[in-house]
Amino acid sequence: MAEHKDTPIVEVENLTVHYETDDGIVEAVNNVSFHIDKGEVLGLVGETGAGKTTIALSLMKLLPVPPSHVVSGTVRLDGQDVGVLNEHHMRRLRGSTVSMIFQDPMTALNPVKYVGDQIAEVILLHDKCSKKDAMLKACEMMKTVGITPERYKEYPHQFSGGMKQRIVIAIALACQPELLIADEPTTALDVTIQAQVLEMMKDLQRERGMAMLMITHDLGIVAEMCDKCAIIYAGEIVEYGTLEHIFDHPLHPYTVGLMESIPSLDKDVERLKPIPGLMIDPTNLPQHCSFCERCARKCARCEQDDPALVEVEPGHWVKCFCAGKEDA
Amino acid sequence: MGTLLETKHLKKYFEVPQGTLHAVDDVSLSIEKGSTLGVVGESGCGKSTLGKLIMKLSQPTSGQILFDGTDIVPLTGKAFRSHRYQIQMIFQDPYATLDPRMSVGQLIAEPLEVSRLVQGKQAIDQRVDELMELVGLAQRLKNSYPHELDGGRRQRIGIARALAVNPQFIVCDEPVSALDVSIQAQVLNLLQDLQRDMGLTYMFITHDMSVVKHISDQIAVMYLGQVVEKCEAKELFANTMHPYSQALLSAIPIPNIHIERKKILLKGELSSPINPKPCCRFAVRCPYATEECFASEPAYREVKPGHFVACHKVGQHNDNNKQ
Repeated sequence: MAEHKDTPIVEVENLTVHYETDDGIVEAVNNVSFHIDKGEVLGLVGETGAGKTTIALSLMKLLPVPPSHVVSGTVRLDGQDVGVLNEHHMRRLRGSTVSMIFQDPMTALNPVKYVGDQIAEVILLHDKCSKKDAMLKACEMMKTVGITPERYKEYPHQFSGGMKQRIVIAIALACQPELLIADEPTTALDVTIQAQVLEMMKDLQRERGMAMLMITHDLGIVAEMCDKCAIIYAGEIVEYGTLEHIFDHPLHPYTVGLMESIPSLDKDVERLKPIPGLMIDPTNLPQHCSFCERCARKCARCEQDDPALVEVEPGHWVKCFCAGKEDA
Repeated sequence: MGTLLETKHLKKYFEVPQGTLHAVDDVSLSIEKGSTLGVVGESGCGKSTLGKLIMKLSQPTSGQILFDGTDIVPLTGKAFRSHRYQIQMIFQDPYATLDPRMSVGQLIAEPLEVSRLVQGKQAIDQRVDELMELVGLAQRLKNSYPHELDGGRRQRIGIARALAVNPQFIVCDEPVSALDVSIQAQVLNLLQDLQRDMGLTYMFITHDMSVVKHISDQIAVMYLGQVVEKCEAKELFANTMHPYSQALLSAIPIPNIHIERKKILLKGELSSPINPKPCCRFAVRCPYATEECFASEPAYREVKPGHFVACHKVGQHNDNNKQ
């Protein structure tokens, strides 16, 4: 999207992913392109069913086939085209070049294995080292995420939600990946614990110069953690830019709508302005702009053509015909 | 307007193998008619148990619940039934509360049939239509089933069911936390409209500070079974006194990149509500705790008119901040 000096850690070009189900074809991701530079944090924001997780899984090549089907597009991790890599190669990449944290820490951990061994497992798999070294490294990782290594031989159920998520992060970071994909990492946690975990993730990200894809529905988390932000609706990026672009002058009506839907802590709002209507059915996407049914600013053209994602100012991309026109 | 609901020294203890779990411990709150009391806290602080006690889905260990001046705790059978319809509840997960084999029309008719408030098939049918219109459900959905609907519409069914028996008081237990923000705003607006038009009184249980600020007149902050701070919503945000409330507020990520805030990061996690020691329950995580806090339990007292706080150090740490 912008000129880049170095090879970006992730390059996604025209990615389209469908799920073939009994009820028809779910167009989960439609012609999505973005890149993440080394050391950059990109926030991916959208509501349920927008296709955020599908994008993340396609980066890891973890989409279940069938029902999913990558219709077109390429994903390059550190310059390598994921599409042509076989499973053996992918296994080497996962965990060492790119790691993922999932929303629910309980389902991500093995309930019948010591948490320490679960961290050591990744290290054994990727770094050719002895079991003892792996255990020592696992203890180091536990310290890094703020858990005393004395708890090495404990099971996941003995940890609280926040602690479990720390273990998951330790597993993800054990082999120093260059990219961390965090899929709603704190949604299952309480706010004070969320603050602890986010703070720790931010510190680790800076320390290691790691790139991150932060998937969330919480614009507050984006404001705190990210460098750039992509807003996604019905499987398409509708707005992309730096935080200043997105938060200070959002241009896409959906982004504006999202901002106005959130009850504000610093302003008193008598009544919220929700986005009317419901999320569009992804099995039945229109040929024209997919947001226009819910859009307050639509014009005749929106119901005929599908707008392209265009750069309205350097680094700020919007997929809307009416963006930038002041009057609605 | 007068007080509609009041709890006095309400306690609920559970006996567990490790000892006694103090889920709700000495909670005294009152809610004005037509207003909204927001109850905030993290998971395990007893906010849902408090809601269940008020609904009488769970019998308190001790204490009183005064509804319109009558203690409803000892009431049973017929005497209670008339009160049952006055207090209704909206649950967090609308999908889990709806029978998947009943259509929308049947689901909304069910409380009418059970309560016998409306009799006759036609009358019930008419009332169902009214209720659907009231909560913004289109008539064409009457024969749909819950699985065909999205979360926002399911929550509207939950609201219609609660409203069916003409309650005065509704306990809303995390009614919007399972919804996306754009849908959440629609449901919050609906709840506010209903309150204004029908004079309803809400107890709004949530963990989301921005939602609670938006909807509440009064806010009570709970920590490990106790109310640690209670005051007007605006006052809580302008003049936060309890260190836990301060930390809770500072922990929320704000979608604004120009507000620089000093974060108060709490150390550790919620301590166990089982056999709590007779000291301030927040002391172990509190940045201002001194010996006094570990020695005795702070009283829940009125520091300013209408502003109640349970903290030994109140006033002192605020001054420290300013220095």
